[in-house]
Amino acid sequence: MSEHDKFRELLALAAADALTSAEEKQVAEHVRSCIACSDELGAWRPLASELRRLPTPQPSSWLLQSTLARAEAKLTEQAEHDWNRRVLIVVVAFAWLLMIASWLVFRVVSGRFGSLLDPQFSHTWISFAAFTALGWLAGGVAAVMLAVRQRGERRLA
Amino acid sequence: MAVDADVVRLRRGDLNALSELITRYQNRLYRYLLRMVRQPAEAEDLFQQTWLRVVEKIRSFDASRNFDAWLFTLARNLAIDHLRRIRPQSLDEPLANSWQSETVADRIPCKDHTPLDHALAAERRTEISEAMAGLPMMYREVLTLRFEDEMKIEEIAQVTAVPVSTVKSRLRRSLEQLRYALEARYPGGTWQ
Repeated sequence: MSEHDKFRELLALAAADALTSAEEKQVAEHVRSCIACSDELGAWRPLASELRRLPTPQPSSWLLQSTLARAEAKLTEQAEHDWNRRVLIVVVAFAWLLMIASWLVFRVVSGRFGSLLDPQFSHTWISFAAFTALGWLAGGVAAVMLAVRQRGERRLA
Repeated sequence: MAVDADVVRLRRGDLNALSELITRYQNRLYRYLLRMVRQPAEAEDLFQQTWLRVVEKIRSFDASRNFDAWLFTLARNLAIDHLRRIRPQSLDEPLANSWQSETVADRIPCKDHTPLDHALAAERRTEISEAMAGLPMMYREVLTLRFEDEMKIEEIAQVTAVPVSTVKSRLRRSLEQLRYALEARYPGGTWQ
């Protein structure tokens, strides 16, 4: 590709103001000495100029209001979701604290009665595992019940 | 780069900030989507979807980055998904019906021009718009981002997720195709 052809390829971009300053300088120098490229650049400029002035289609006011309403609803829904998540974290933390605290009570009570029935029953780790499993089971049942209820609510909505 | 206060407020869940942003970007975003999909009803739907996506993703947006580029990238992805879904055979089938509409500002006569000049200019722009609508999507896109949204080449590269050199090459080809299309439609050079 000759030097001339290389510059000629840049003319459309020059009209679009899309050249680097170095390229712009080189093109300007070439155009000063090349009538054909000067004419070609002159042909690109009106098109670029008209493209910048094309009428802007306007969205309807209904569209704006409707978009805002939907986006606001989404934002509110997200805020509620975040709030629910925070509450869930607090509830889970509280449940764990409660379980550990109740374990201490359970141990005292079961230790007394268990040792009367069977001395092995008061074994700390086995009892704690059984107690934890009971806690998870209760949590699982609660989660299933909540999910069933949520599905019912969604169906009604 | 200055951090956009409305964007920061929206990240905190401020509804007024959302309203400000929608108002600020309404024309640019709608025009971009309309140039992409060419159908007003589809552009309206995508306009709504874009703002819903903004609300969904605003927390993952880095406020020190360019919001314009991020917004147009979201809109672009939605538009491309939409076009793939509804027109899987070809993304660039030219449509016969024109979507063009004028603004009030376009109808205000300029002091330096006669009504005839104004009418001719309006006609010329309609011709260019129609020719532009017949170009492939990636060419329409680069033209609207460069000339109507006045984005820099680097910003267009961000929105379209391609290198700067590709944007330049697309821009050059889109201008060439537009010029050929206009010359083919109006052999006497009446569009000029």
